[in-house]
Amino acid sequence: MAEYIDQVDREARKRALKVFQETFKMLYDQIARGEPPYMMLPKRTLANTIYDEKRKLLLLGPEKLKRSFLDLNESKKFMQTLLMAKIIYEALERDEYPTIRDLYYRGKHTIIYREPGGRRHEENTWDEQRESDAVIRDIEVLTGLLREEMLILSKEKGKVVGNMRIRSGGDVIDLSKMGHGAYAIEPTPDLIEFVDVDAEYVLVVEKDAVFQQLHRIGFWRRHKAILITSAGQPDRATRRFVRRLSEELKLPVYILTDADPYGWYIYSVFKIGSITLSYESERLATPSARFIGVSMTDIFGYGKKKPYLSEKERRNYIIKAKDADIKRAYELMNYKWFQTKKWQIEIKIFLDKKSKLEIEALTSKGLKFLADKYLPEKIETGDWIE
Amino acid sequence: MPRRQQQLESFRSMTPSQFFYEYREVAGFGSPSRALYQTVRELVENALDATDVHGILPDIYIAIEREPENPNYYRVTVEDNGIGIQPQHVPYAFGQVLYSSKYRLRQARGRFGLGAKMAILYGQIRTGKPVEVYTSPQGSNKIYFFRIKIDIQRNRPIVLTRAEFPNPSGWHGTRVSVVVEGDWPRARSRIHTYIQRTAIAAPYANIVFRDPDNRIVIYRRRITKLPPIPREVKPHPHGVDIELLKQLIAKTNAKTLLEFMVEAFQGVGKKTAEAFLEYAKLDKNLDPRTLDDKKLEYLARKLREYPKFRAPSADALSPFGPEIIEAGLRAILEPEFVTAVTRRPKAYEGHPFIVEVGIAYGGKIPPMNEPMLLRYANKIPLLYDEKADVAWKVVDPRNFDWKAYLVNFPAPIAVLTHIASTKVPYKGVGKESVADVPEIENELRNALREAARRLRDYLLKKKREEEAKKRIITFMKYTPEVASSLATILKDMGVREEDVRKMLLNIMKKKLGIEDDKFHKLIQGLEVSIEE
Repeated sequence: MAEYIDQVDREARKRALKVFQETFKMLYDQIARGEPPYMMLPKRTLANTIYDEKRKLLLLGPEKLKRSFLDLNESKKFMQTLLMAKIIYEALERDEYPTIRDLYYRGKHTIIYREPGGRRHEENTWDEQRESDAVIRDIEVLTGLLREEMLILSKEKGKVVGNMRIRSGGDVIDLSKMGHGAYAIEPTPDLIEFVDVDAEYVLVVEKDAVFQQLHRIGFWRRHKAILITSAGQPDRATRRFVRRLSEELKLPVYILTDADPYGWYIYSVFKIGSITLSYESERLATPSARFIGVSMTDIFGYGKKKPYLSEKERRNYIIKAKDADIKRAYELMNYKWFQTKKWQIEIKIFLDKKSKLEIEALTSKGLKFLADKYLPEKIETGDWIE
Repeated sequence: MPRRQQQLESFRSMTPSQFFYEYREVAGFGSPSRALYQTVRELVENALDATDVHGILPDIYIAIEREPENPNYYRVTVEDNGIGIQPQHVPYAFGQVLYSSKYRLRQARGRFGLGAKMAILYGQIRTGKPVEVYTSPQGSNKIYFFRIKIDIQRNRPIVLTRAEFPNPSGWHGTRVSVVVEGDWPRARSRIHTYIQRTAIAAPYANIVFRDPDNRIVIYRRRITKLPPIPREVKPHPHGVDIELLKQLIAKTNAKTLLEFMVEAFQGVGKKTAEAFLEYAKLDKNLDPRTLDDKKLEYLARKLREYPKFRAPSADALSPFGPEIIEAGLRAILEPEFVTAVTRRPKAYEGHPFIVEVGIAYGGKIPPMNEPMLLRYANKIPLLYDEKADVAWKVVDPRNFDWKAYLVNFPAPIAVLTHIASTKVPYKGVGKESVADVPEIENELRNALREAARRLRDYLLKKKREEEAKKRIITFMKYTPEVASSLATILKDMGVREEDVRKMLLNIMKKKLGIEDDKFHKLIQGLEVSIEE
């Protein structure tokens, strides 16, 4: 098997194993000195998430959490963290590529203990994947290694097509020759090498269905675009891939989402990072990404700007906002990174009209309208939000 | 003794049979079930009064048997190892109402010996059976046997049988047996409870009880310490009434009021007597026998009013003492914690009293929505009319802030209260509940607080220990995973799982500040295994 394994992977493993040994040696040294073992972890909470206005990134704040084994409230988490470290370490040693689901199952043990009184109790090391996922994030910040660097895989979600060739695992793949399909962005996008590219910008579409439609009518070929979909909330691989296109190939990135608070948040995750993964923003975020639409001003117009939809179309396509949407809008309104003039106008119109719209509404008006009028016109006239 | 008997002649104007007929409900013989309970109670209390009050560790045997001739007739037999009764007194002690060896001013369970005779009378009226008595006074070489009935019209004993037997084993005590009409199925739980409560308050006694279902309950002696023996005292001037004054005057040899005061009352010397008589504007040389009812009423009133008498003496009182209460509660309720408080003597209206409170918590006591209350007055368990009793008023969670003492209901808690007094202020003649006398209520509350504070200290300590235990269990159950993880990641550095475990255990011990032996006790039997 060894000869099929990529040299790049092997190097990554060696490095990760070494980092693990160094990190956990520190815990062992505490124990050997007779001190209660503890680890310091950055707090992954909204309160400890800082928006760096200069770099336009969501970053992890300075607050640390002391996770001590002898602290009754932290003891279980401490054990879970070490258990997860052990499983990841073993997978690295054995040249395996576990998914986070695998890691969940591998670490799910039952601890059976009998109290001095004779009562028998059972307790699982963890019950839900939510718990083991949280511990993986803790190990990432503790070791400074991202899960990709620990060769942990996640489900591939993002797809890409375009006039571009890449090298992955020794093969050259032509992203313009994917037929009706597309290239699934691999969980370790840092191991991809860009061979050559002929494109003027990147268009990221939230909805997979819209992506397919644009692909089939040859949108990317006609408009010299790299077409990507995140199929909903973007995973880390898609975000890293978009970031590399922006950073290394200097391509402008446009993001197309539904016109509602969830679409806006997807855009902000691409652009500045997410609260849960703020420790990775520096690597995953694309600070220059632009929100192309669908914006509230596209629907209703604003000032001199005329709306793209007629009164009758609005009546047909607009959906009434739900309570959850409105609540989310108020939350976003308070996030620092949404406190720009254009975003505040967007949110205000939304709260005023209490209406949202899906991208599909524009394809209903006409796929050609979306591909050949709406998108090119907005890019050309600079009608986006940053 | 014979002299006192003569003094009691004045009570003869009461016809005991009429009195009994009219007041048998009040005396506790209103229904067959209540009568059976009352019979047991009166005989057991007499048995205890013949023993512990005289410094004898009691051995009490109680039996209730169905009489073969009538299923509603029950023979109640109670035997004690007490001082016994001189044979010449036996007919009067059992065959004449209001004859008593206990007519004195000191704390005893019964006072006028009325109760046992009520039982005998009741038995005789309903079943026609005489009382049977075996007795042997201490040091006697004979055992005496009597079968006695009461001549109800003349209030005289009728001795049906009198016999004597040799007493080679030196037994002393009394065995009384009466047949009464009763209702065992209805009285069963009360009687068992009564005997259990009696045993709680007398852990220095062996008590054996055989019931009509042939169930035998044995309460073994737990301690050999007896409560202090109460001494006889003279009455306190605050506690007198006209009737008592008359009795005292009839008894005295004093020629003047001054002499009478000094002789008849406790804590009154010549000086005090003179000061009082001056206060009451009474001639100190007056012959007390010349006082008429009007003068007597005036004297009694002034005696009660005068504020400068010395506080009543508690010498006549016999509290259990904390040791006995704790031993009793521990033996019968099997709690995890027990404490008891005996307060200093206090007085109300010239009557000295001592309040005692015991608390038992946890163990085999089931959690209840309110405290289990075990009431005693002069060592007698009180079972009826609980909610009307001053003790309930004090322990009632609506009146007492149990939460402040870390007791949250439902809680496994029992409270024992004891009021010892030369005169317990019962509500009514049934002697089942104590009235709300403010002095007694305050003392009960003070005693309860004192005991409850100790309970709170215990519960706090227990809580801390449980937290320590919880910590240890938590750490112990996670240690294997932690040790295995470090040993896996650091195996190249020679880190071994077993060593990490040991080191973690030591760190834990140090951190929790637990001594070695205690730590081992805490973790003994704690097993952790992991199922992959």
